[in-house]
Amino acid sequence: MIPELILTTIVRALAVGTPLLWASLGEIYAERSGVVNLGVEGMMILGAFLAFAVAHTTGNPILGLAMAGIVGGLAALIHAFVSITLRANQYVSGLALAMLGLGLAGVLGRAYEGIPLLNTVPEVSGLTFLGVLLAAAMWFVLHHTRPGLILRSTGESPATVDALGIDVTRVRYVAVVFGGILAGVAGGFLSVAYRPSWTEGMTGGMGWIAIAIAIFAGWDPLKAVWGALFFGALYYLSFRLQTWVTPEALRMMPFAFTILVLAVTARNRRGQGAPEALGIPYTSGAR
Amino acid sequence: MRWLILAAVLVLVAGLTVPGGAQQKLKAGFIYVGPIGDYGWTHAHDQARKLAEKAVPGLETTYVESVPEAQAEPFIDKLVQQGARVIFTTSFGFMDGTLAAAKRYPNQIFAHASGFKRAPNMATFMADFYQVYYLNGLMAGALTKTGKVGYVGAFPIPEVKRHISAYALGVRAVNPKATVHVKWIFEWFKPAAAKEATEALIAEGVDVFAFTEDSPTVVQVAGKRGLPAFSHYSPMQKFSPDHVVSGQLVHWEKIYIDFLSKVQSGKYTAENLSNVDYWWLLAEGAAELGGEFGVPVNPKWKGKLQAAMVSTPDLGRLSVYDLVMKRMAQMSDAKMAFDPFTGPIKDRKGVTRVPGGKRMSVGDLNTMEWAAPGVVGSWPKEP
Repeated sequence: MIPELILTTIVRALAVGTPLLWASLGEIYAERSGVVNLGVEGMMILGAFLAFAVAHTTGNPILGLAMAGIVGGLAALIHAFVSITLRANQYVSGLALAMLGLGLAGVLGRAYEGIPLLNTVPEVSGLTFLGVLLAAAMWFVLHHTRPGLILRSTGESPATVDALGIDVTRVRYVAVVFGGILAGVAGGFLSVAYRPSWTEGMTGGMGWIAIAIAIFAGWDPLKAVWGALFFGALYYLSFRLQTWVTPEALRMMPFAFTILVLAVTARNRRGQGAPEALGIPYTSGAR
Repeated sequence: MRWLILAAVLVLVAGLTVPGGAQQKLKAGFIYVGPIGDYGWTHAHDQARKLAEKAVPGLETTYVESVPEAQAEPFIDKLVQQGARVIFTTSFGFMDGTLAAAKRYPNQIFAHASGFKRAPNMATFMADFYQVYYLNGLMAGALTKTGKVGYVGAFPIPEVKRHISAYALGVRAVNPKATVHVKWIFEWFKPAAAKEATEALIAEGVDVFAFTEDSPTVVQVAGKRGLPAFSHYSPMQKFSPDHVVSGQLVHWEKIYIDFLSKVQSGKYTAENLSNVDYWWLLAEGAAELGGEFGVPVNPKWKGKLQAAMVSTPDLGRLSVYDLVMKRMAQMSDAKMAFDPFTGPIKDRKGVTRVPGGKRMSVGDLNTMEWAAPGVVGSWPKEP
C-alpha cells in the first residue's frame, strides 16, 4: 500500500511536473533578465494547439513539439517588442498575451476539436529527462559562465551592463524569446503526450502555476525541478487522498503551500529575492 | 432607363423582403459556461443551437462562451441590447442571475438549464442522463473484474449525485458486491484534474470508468491502460475505439426546437412560463445511449455483455446485453414500465429513501443529496 502510493506519486509527479518544469525554466530566464512575462498560459496554449495540428497533419509528434517551441518563441517576441522596445508595462503586456493566446488558439483550433491523435509521445519520456538536464545546464550557465553573469546583471542592474557596453535590449530579447520557446514546448507536451488531443483552454491554468514555481524556486533553475515535482505530486495526491481527507481541504493544499512558502521565503530576503530590476523597462541614460 | 433601374431595384428589394416578411424574425441568445470547443457540455449545447437555427424558420442566434457562473447578468444585458427576445442560460450556477434578469426584463423570455427556479417569463429545461447512467451501470457491473468501478465527478451537486447513484444502482443490479469509487475534481472542465483523478482510481484498483467532465480525458487515460470506459456528452468513442463500451449522448436540439417553435407560434409568451419545465429523457429522444450516435453499445463489447448472465425479478434470467436493451426499450416508451429510482431504495447508510413501489418525483431527483449503496468515497453534504 505505502510503497505503491509513493511509487505512483513519483510517476504522476514526473508526468504533471514535466510541462510545469519546462514553462517555469523559461520564465526564470526571462525574469532573470528583468522581464516578467505573465503570458505563459497564452504561449503554452499556442504551443499545445500547434503541436497537435502539426502532429495530426504530419503524423510526427516530435515535429509538432518543435513547432510548438517556435510558436511559443514568436508569441514571446510580441511581448518582448511591446515591453522592451516600446517600454510598455510588462504586467499588462503579459496578461494581454495570455488572453491573446487563449483566444487565438481557440479560434484556430475549431477545426481540430474531437480528433484523437494517433502518434503520440510517452508522457514520462525524453522531455522529462531533457527537462531535468536543461535545468542543470541552465543553472550552470547562470552561475558559472560569462553569459550567465550578463543575464543576471541585466536583471539586477541594467545600467551597469549598459555601461560595460553590452546591449541590454538584446540580452532581454534573447531571454524572453528563449522563455517563450520553453513555454511553447511545455504546451506541446500537453497536447501530444500528456493528453493527446486538442481541446480549447486545455492548459487549464498550468501557465500560472509555472510562474508561481519560478518565484517559489527563487529564480533558481535547479530548485524549479523540485518545485515542479512538488506541485505535480500535490496535484495527484489531492485526488488520491480523497478517500481519507475531505476533498475541500485537499483542494486548498497547493494554494496553502504557496502562501506558506512565500511567507517563509519573504523572511530571508538575501539570495532569495527577485532580480532588482524585475518589471522595470530600461531606458539607456535615464536615472 | 432611370425608371427601368428603379423598377429593377424595387423588384429586387421586394424579392428579398417578401419571404422574410412572411416569417417572423426571432432572435435567441445563449449563455455558455465553457468554451464551445470543450467537446462536452457546452459543445453539445452549441451543436444544438446550430441545429435549431436550421430547423426553426426565422430564427437567428448569438452566443457568449466561457461566462463565469456568477457573472451571467452583464452578459444577459448585452444579449438583450443586441435584440435577443429569448435567452438560454446553460449552467446550474446561472440560476439566480437568470432569475434576477428575468425580473428586470419582463418582456424577454428566459430558459435556464438544470435548475429549479421559474418565473412567468422564465422556464427551466433539462435533458437528463440518469436513465442512461443506469444502463451504463448495468454494463459496468458485468465488466469489472476487480469489483471496483470508478466515477470521476465534477461537482458534488444533486445532478451529479443523481447520476452516480443511478450508475451505482445499475452496477449493483448486475453485480451486488461491486463498489463505485468516486473522486471529485470540483471543475466542469479541467483535463489535467480529470486525468490525475483517473490515475488515482486506477492505482486503487478500479477497472471500469464513468465520469462527468467536459473533455474526453477519462476515456483516453482508461483506454491507454486497456480499461473500459463510458463516454460523456459528446461522441467520444473515437478517442478510444477499443475501450469505450457505451456512454451518454445528448440531443439538446429536441428541447430548443420545441421551445423556440412554441415561442414563434405564440404558445409561449413572457407571461405563461411559470410551469414550463422540460425534463426530457430517453422517451423524448433528448438522451441517447452510446459513445457514438446510433451505436448504443460498441460492437467490440457486445460479445462480453452477451456472455454475462444475470437474474432479474421481472424479466427472469437473461444476458446483460439483453437486459440493457430491454430496460432501454422500457424507458424509451412514454409509459416508462421501468425507472431506476423505483423503491424500495435505501441509501448507503441504510436509510430508506424511496418506499417500496414508489418512484422518485422530478422534484426529488433535482434535490437528491444521498448516495446509493455501493458508493465509496467522500460525499459532501451527505444527509
